[in-house]
Amino acid sequence: MTSAWKLASSSLVLAFALTVAGCGEEKKEEQAAETTAPAPAAQEQAAPAPAATQDAATAPAADPMQALIDAAKAEGQLTTIALPHDWCNYGEMIEGFKAKYGLTVNELNPDAGSGDEIEAIKANKGNTGPQAPDVIDVGLSFGPSSKAEGLIQPYKVATWDSIPDSAKDAEGYWYGDYYGVLAFQINSDVVKTAPQDWADLLKPEYANSVALAGDPRASNQAIQGVYAAGLSAAGGDAAKAADAGLKYFADLNKAGNFVPVIGKSASLAQGATPIIIRWDYNALADRDTLNGNPKVDVVVPKTGVVAGVYVQAISAYAPHPNAAKLWMEYLYSDEGQLTWLKGYCHPIRFNDLVKNGKVPQEMLDKLPPAAAYETAVFPTVEEQNAAKEVITKQWDTVVGANVQ
Amino acid sequence: MNQARIGAWIATILGALYFVVPLIGTFEFSLRMRRGEYSFDAYRVVFGDPQFQATFAYSTLQALATIVVGVLLVVPTAYWIQLRLPKLRPVVEFITLMPLVIPAIVIVFGYIRLYNSSSILPMTASARATDLLLTFSYVTLALPYMYRAVDTGLRAIDVRTLTEAAENLGAGWPTILFKVILPNVRSAILSGAFLTFAVVIGEFTMASLLNRPAFGPYLQNIGANRAYEPSALAIIAFVVTWACMGLINVFGRGKQIKAAP
Amino acid sequence: MAQDIQTSPKPAGISLETSQKSWAWIGVSPFFIFALLFLILPTLDLMIGAFQDAQGGFTLQNLANLNTPSIKSAYWISLKVSVASALTGALFGFLLAYAVVLGGLPQWLRPTLMTFSGVASNFAGLPLAFAFIATLGRVGLVTVLLREFAGFDLYRTGFNLLSFWGLTLTYLYFQIPLMILIITPALDGLKREWREASEILGASRLQYWRHVALPILWPSILGTTLLLFANAFGAVATAYALTGSSLNIVTILLYAQIRGDVLHDQNLGYALALGMILITGVSNGAYIWLRSRSERWLR
Repeated sequence: MTSAWKLASSSLVLAFALTVAGCGEEKKEEQAAETTAPAPAAQEQAAPAPAATQDAATAPAADPMQALIDAAKAEGQLTTIALPHDWCNYGEMIEGFKAKYGLTVNELNPDAGSGDEIEAIKANKGNTGPQAPDVIDVGLSFGPSSKAEGLIQPYKVATWDSIPDSAKDAEGYWYGDYYGVLAFQINSDVVKTAPQDWADLLKPEYANSVALAGDPRASNQAIQGVYAAGLSAAGGDAAKAADAGLKYFADLNKAGNFVPVIGKSASLAQGATPIIIRWDYNALADRDTLNGNPKVDVVVPKTGVVAGVYVQAISAYAPHPNAAKLWMEYLYSDEGQLTWLKGYCHPIRFNDLVKNGKVPQEMLDKLPPAAAYETAVFPTVEEQNAAKEVITKQWDTVVGANVQ
Repeated sequence: MNQARIGAWIATILGALYFVVPLIGTFEFSLRMRRGEYSFDAYRVVFGDPQFQATFAYSTLQALATIVVGVLLVVPTAYWIQLRLPKLRPVVEFITLMPLVIPAIVIVFGYIRLYNSSSILPMTASARATDLLLTFSYVTLALPYMYRAVDTGLRAIDVRTLTEAAENLGAGWPTILFKVILPNVRSAILSGAFLTFAVVIGEFTMASLLNRPAFGPYLQNIGANRAYEPSALAIIAFVVTWACMGLINVFGRGKQIKAAP
Repeated sequence: MAQDIQTSPKPAGISLETSQKSWAWIGVSPFFIFALLFLILPTLDLMIGAFQDAQGGFTLQNLANLNTPSIKSAYWISLKVSVASALTGALFGFLLAYAVVLGGLPQWLRPTLMTFSGVASNFAGLPLAFAFIATLGRVGLVTVLLREFAGFDLYRTGFNLLSFWGLTLTYLYFQIPLMILIITPALDGLKREWREASEILGASRLQYWRHVALPILWPSILGTTLLLFANAFGAVATAYALTGSSLNIVTILLYAQIRGDVLHDQNLGYALALGMILITGVSNGAYIWLRSRSERWLR
């Protein structure tokens, strides 16, 4: 009887295990079947959109827009991910959206990286709960890759035509939202003379001062930083930039100027990393937050000005697709684009807005001088991928892990 | 004897220095928010944030729930393993070491896939059910510490004799477990409880991906873009967590004193 | 059922044992069910994923890809940091716990140390890294004070916080409290009678420790050192925040693959995690072997 007990309880546990595992597998197959369903539905919705934009160009987009607003309100909620309030003034953007349309915004993980956002879509395929993101804001290279994996659905906003062609997918799966250039954020209490260009950073007066804002083996911002330094060192030759960048940082490290800590606002203020290489909008927003304690200078280097574009997309499994589309409309409206500009991010329709005189002068004044942006280089996805290959694989060997 | 006591004092003082000085460094930096003078501005900002109190309260409740579930799960298991099933010990120990090595992010993505709104156990569908899922995930995370603490405590008492004595006096196994064994491993359980509490309060990945308003995501949010507030927050979190543990300690020890005849 | 066994004379020893064993199986089943639902099943994904390619087909390529110099050196450095911080953490933690429990110090020190250890054991990640930078970094509080008041330049001695030993030093902040918390109940179990008995028999302190106390404590010390090792092996946030781009450890690589902005070869990340699980399994096996040798006389 007792060994029967043992047998019974073990087989109970085993049976339970198999059932749950089996159900898990079945669910995965059902989800696989479901995934093909939203994609065609989304394409059907994408078809009427171009027609709508043509109407929008000539007449105020009242009816399709109103239908979208009503559908979104019926859904009641938008789930976003990876949108820190201090990044590009997303705080005000979200508040503005909430106030204008009365939807609630469920904000997931503001600290997520682009990879996290993709993972969140994948993990939440069958989930319509509040953990599933509706919209994502990811680095440029993630646009084509997530389209290839079937994770996003196409949508063309009303202002589609004023988005530069190089920054959007022709079929409307992903579209650039804002860009910024790499700049030096300098703690001017600690650093007396601000460096003006990449070559200056190698000078002995900047010993133990320079840091990247991420890990160059994994963070887009850091990799672009290495690329920009290389572009400056290679005199603008994109093909040589990655290798030149690695050599530059190896020299920086040998000179004792490079600090391997990941630069943040706190380490800048404390003095451990008084010079940080990061996106200009982050540096400028940080300058405002620190409010003079310490004093911060933001300098765009004279050569090697690299611009990074981020792209928006709607998840193919979005639980609230209409709210997502309404969000996109808001982001790409003049109001939304200027909110980004207030956060020091150059919105993708910047040139269009400036041409139509829609940008207030005070806003332009708060940005670094426009001359600094004229030489900005926009690396293509292929160039970025090539540079990424080189930099991530060779960082350890070339720059030298000085930490053994 | 005196030599031993001097040695003990030296160890304690060196230990205290090692642990307290970095805290002093953090504290000093947090006072620097106002330019040129020391002030409590960073603390004022943190305390004025209603999110701070809400998320800390939520995480405290989760921590207490985790401790209760953890104790109920681990103590009987460690007891039975020690007493009757020593061959299973390696298996259980390996299982309890896993949460340390498997990244939390893999575990929580597994939960979302297994228990999302379209599975047989739709735990992510409602807020309360997700809270429960989060408690279970915290229990998983705290398992290494809780099990090791209780196992060490059980080794230090003679489980076999206690059990046999209790059985001879006519006790059934619930009585044995809760009235005989549990009080004797009280200090081990307290250690496990402290560790669990600290783990839950600071935990970020699971709370963030399951989208619950816990303290960890709040800490991360503040720490991302501010200079002085994160240090202030670290000190505040340290002090408040320490106070909570003191309460657990008093509560735990108090009962013991009353129980002794 | 247990009571039935009490009133009637003990039957043949075998059926008593096995009936009690079956109660034991039922007693441990909640744990196994819980572990299955909330630990094993979710990580089966990981195990399976380590053998899949991006499209889901079976492949051993991920494991083969582990054989690159950078990944091998990452495992090696991870092992070194984990072993270093586990051994030093176990040693200092044991000494501190002994000092407070058996060292004849004031009573209030013990609960203070216990509760403080509870908090410190999880004070990790960016706040810990920043605390050490703010204290022992190049412009840290202690560095500056030593330079100004004692004329002593810490960094001229070759000390560098952003190094292997600096990272180990930082890891100790949560390793030592973990050791203290877990070994203290075991120290409580050292009966005073044993100490007195050994003294009566003429043993010195050293002999008492070598022949009585340490053998008794040895399994617990080993087990906790293993826990410290696994704890350090799986730590990522502190290392990332402190030595971010200069130190190559497995957990940073893993996170870069699974959640990074750029790399994102998830299956390689799973293979890395599988490697970590194997290493933990091997060290667990070594611990069990060592412990069974020392436990032989205890039963």
